[in-house]
Amino acid sequence: MTRTRRTRLSLALSTLLFVAACGGGGAPSDEPDGPPPLAVDEELRALLPEEVRDAGTLTIATEPSYPPASSFAADGRTIIGFEPDLGAALGELLGVRIEFRAEGFDTVLDGLSEGDYDAVMSSMTDTPERRANADFVNYFRAGSAIVIARGNPLGIHDLGGLCGETVAVESGTLHVDVLARGQRNCGNQPIVVIESSSNDDALLELRTGRAGAVLTDYPPAVVASTDERTQAFFQLASDVQYEPGLYGIAVARDRAALRDALAGALTSLVRSGHYQHVLDDWDVGSGGVSVVTVNGGAV
Amino acid sequence: MRWPGRARATGTRLFVVYAVASLVPVVALGALLADGIRQDARDRGLELGRAQAAVVGEMVVAPALQGSDLTSGLSTQEMARLQRATDLAIFRGSVERLRLRDFDGSVLFSDDGVATPEVVAGGRPRTAADRAAEAAEMAGSAAFRVAASGDAHVTILDGDSAGIQVFQPVVGDASGRSVGVLEVVLPYAAIAAEVEEAKSRTYWRLGAGLAVLHLVLAGISWSSTRRLRRQAAESAHAALHDSLTGLPNRELFRKKAESAIRRSGGCAVVLVDLDRFKEVNDTLGHHAGDRLLREVARRLAATVRSGDTVARLGGDEFGLLLPGIADPADALYLVQRVSEELSAGLVLEGVPLTPEASFGIALHPADGDTLEELLTHADAAMYEGKRGTSAVVVYDRALTGAPSHHLSIQHDLRLAIERDELRLEYQPQVDLRTGRTATVEALVRWQHPTRGLLPPIEFLPAAEHTALMGPLTEWVVSRAAADCAAWTAAGRDWVVAVNVSARNLHEPDFGGTVALLAGQAGLRPGQMQIEVTETALPVDPDAAAAALATLAAYGFGTALDDFGVGYASLSHLRSLQLTEVKIDRAFVAGVAEAGEDRAVVAALIQLAHGLGLAVCAEGVETVEAAVWLQQVGCDRAQGYYFSRPVPWTELAPDGHWSPDRPATDSRTKVMT
Repeated sequence: MTRTRRTRLSLALSTLLFVAACGGGGAPSDEPDGPPPLAVDEELRALLPEEVRDAGTLTIATEPSYPPASSFAADGRTIIGFEPDLGAALGELLGVRIEFRAEGFDTVLDGLSEGDYDAVMSSMTDTPERRANADFVNYFRAGSAIVIARGNPLGIHDLGGLCGETVAVESGTLHVDVLARGQRNCGNQPIVVIESSSNDDALLELRTGRAGAVLTDYPPAVVASTDERTQAFFQLASDVQYEPGLYGIAVARDRAALRDALAGALTSLVRSGHYQHVLDDWDVGSGGVSVVTVNGGAV
Repeated sequence: MRWPGRARATGTRLFVVYAVASLVPVVALGALLADGIRQDARDRGLELGRAQAAVVGEMVVAPALQGSDLTSGLSTQEMARLQRATDLAIFRGSVERLRLRDFDGSVLFSDDGVATPEVVAGGRPRTAADRAAEAAEMAGSAAFRVAASGDAHVTILDGDSAGIQVFQPVVGDASGRSVGVLEVVLPYAAIAAEVEEAKSRTYWRLGAGLAVLHLVLAGISWSSTRRLRRQAAESAHAALHDSLTGLPNRELFRKKAESAIRRSGGCAVVLVDLDRFKEVNDTLGHHAGDRLLREVARRLAATVRSGDTVARLGGDEFGLLLPGIADPADALYLVQRVSEELSAGLVLEGVPLTPEASFGIALHPADGDTLEELLTHADAAMYEGKRGTSAVVVYDRALTGAPSHHLSIQHDLRLAIERDELRLEYQPQVDLRTGRTATVEALVRWQHPTRGLLPPIEFLPAAEHTALMGPLTEWVVSRAAADCAAWTAAGRDWVVAVNVSARNLHEPDFGGTVALLAGQAGLRPGQMQIEVTETALPVDPDAAAAALATLAAYGFGTALDDFGVGYASLSHLRSLQLTEVKIDRAFVAGVAEAGEDRAVVAALIQLAHGLGLAVCAEGVETVEAAVWLQQVGCDRAQGYYFSRPVPWTELAPDGHWSPDRPATDSRTKVMT
């Protein structure tokens, strides 16, 4: 909530400053920390597919159980996080309205292929397997982390400690693969994997004792172990991020124009500092990228 | 402790003000707390409803939906699961109503199986439009909008269908996603009863506590107002009462007397002066004096009527106020009774005493319209009593003359002494054996600037019994001494006789004063004789006797004036230090002819001589009287026959009288 409010405030302020700059002939900014004001970049807008420009709306799918990237606000309906904030900034540059839609993670690329929405922005790591179905505009870097019960009753400190334990993961994520690879070192004490429909459902397994650990991305792991509603139950096994990779905005392979427009707009945000500001606003500034790549993830 | 009525009324009013003033914050506090309790009870009900609804939503509804987002309504399976999950609670009344709505307000599930009745109020079948309108109305309601935006909205339904109505979001899964709005009505009667019971319990406790608080406050204010009131009453009492006797003081006496005077119906003002109080103080000590005063106070207070006032005016002087008495006889009767009661014997420090007092009575309105007048008159009457035989005297105007006249005379006389307007004339006393002038009696005159030369009768009564008597007598003594020195220097051996008043004899060391003044003029004590009127003695016989003894010890002659007409007992002649008695003119006037007066005068001469005293006859106006007196052995004679009073320089320097050669003053004869 706090973060949301601060974001809205700074956005409101930047709008105000922008208006002041236009009307007053370039008054110096009083808020050096604020993101630079955004205006529609017609060159980038020109890159958009015509049907998108005509619709005026860009629909982006996300699985909102992944704070601080994307999650439901207190009303249970609004989706907030640095992904919606970045998406909104992209929309402002491109002159279209951005609409985030909640979807299940394990089928989200299928919906993209079928044209249910224009893009996916759901902490999805850019991997060769996924690139078979989509192009990725890389916008963040993060690895995996192990969330365990507060007090660490099972004594789990690293991936090796997961052998013989029940571990919950969100279905369709790379963590499923990480655990599969980890099984090789477990001998006759295999890891029991529970695949949940969302990250929150995986944490629910841990909270209720049906799982001994959750493997998830580092940012949501930090939130789960520090948020005041959940910190009493969760902690990190360690600060290590396993197998870091690049998040990417997934765009259908046949929509290169859209992909390039988004990449151009994101590059503009990175250059203008708006990008870093959004990440800092959600306390994930260290995961930012300095150069925007397309399909730049692991080979 | 007696409180005046007004003080008690004021105290009570003060207490009532305190009590009411403290009641206001207490009641306000009570109202505040009661309101808080009411609010708390309501909040408890709301919170209870909110918590129960949350449990219903998360443990019953959400699991039945299994993550469905309701955008396309409920599937048959979802509907069945919902029914199974809620049936028992609805049947047992744990939930009175349960409805699931989508965000548009449309009912997806209802506890009674029907989303809305199939007919509307008018009996017309419900149409799809009706349902849409109702859903839209619901979606627009405040409670629904609150729930749709993520919060619970709880209200308490009053009236017949008492319940807690909760609108809350339906959170479909762990990610916190809201899929619709749950409307739940929970039973409130039990909660309400419990809340009501707790409320009334708290009210009772609060009421009792506040009552105790107020009682304590009231008690504190009662005791402090009482203390204040008592202090005020005590200081008021002390300001108006004599601390020794507890009687009203002069101030209170004045107030009461003035109010009695204002009321018609008359009243008597009585001044009471103890006799010989100074003696008690001097011989038995102040402690005994105080005891005597207390006893006198007690007796006075015990004897008067209940509505009368007894006050101690100062020293040994008391005042009585007898309201409703206008008749002198009534006053006399009452006060005599007081006087009798007062004079019952008592033993003080082992000494038996008879307290006696002089009572002077003045009556309103007969004797004056103001308290000052009445007091002056009562004072005059009291002094008359001290001079006379009666202890109780009612004021008689003829007794002292107009007091206002007196006051002005006193004032003028004081000035007269300062301005040297007084004169002395002298009347010779002739030695009947030798025929020569032996003594000259100084008689004071006032050379009044407007009224001419005034005889003593014009001004002495006004000065009598006032402080003026001291300076007046001192002036006379010193002028007489100076005159005596003058005629001594001129070769005359006359002794000078000076009259003093009773009041002079009571002055401390009067003898010393006379000796000093005589000495200043160069006089030997033997050249001066002090004459005291017999009627002056009874005022305080002991003090007079002491003063005479002192004078005699200095060597001054002492004579008893006007002997025979006063009330002094013969024992005075024996007990007082006297050298001469002067027989009053009342007897002497009749001795020219044979009769009873001759017998009296002859007997008096015999008596005096028997006691070793010289005798002087006053008021000798004829040669026959002078001759007779000479024959019966009277030592000296004085009167107009020999000479009227004149300045000493006009007296015959070597006057010599014999029956054959009568007195030389022709003017005297003219007068007679």
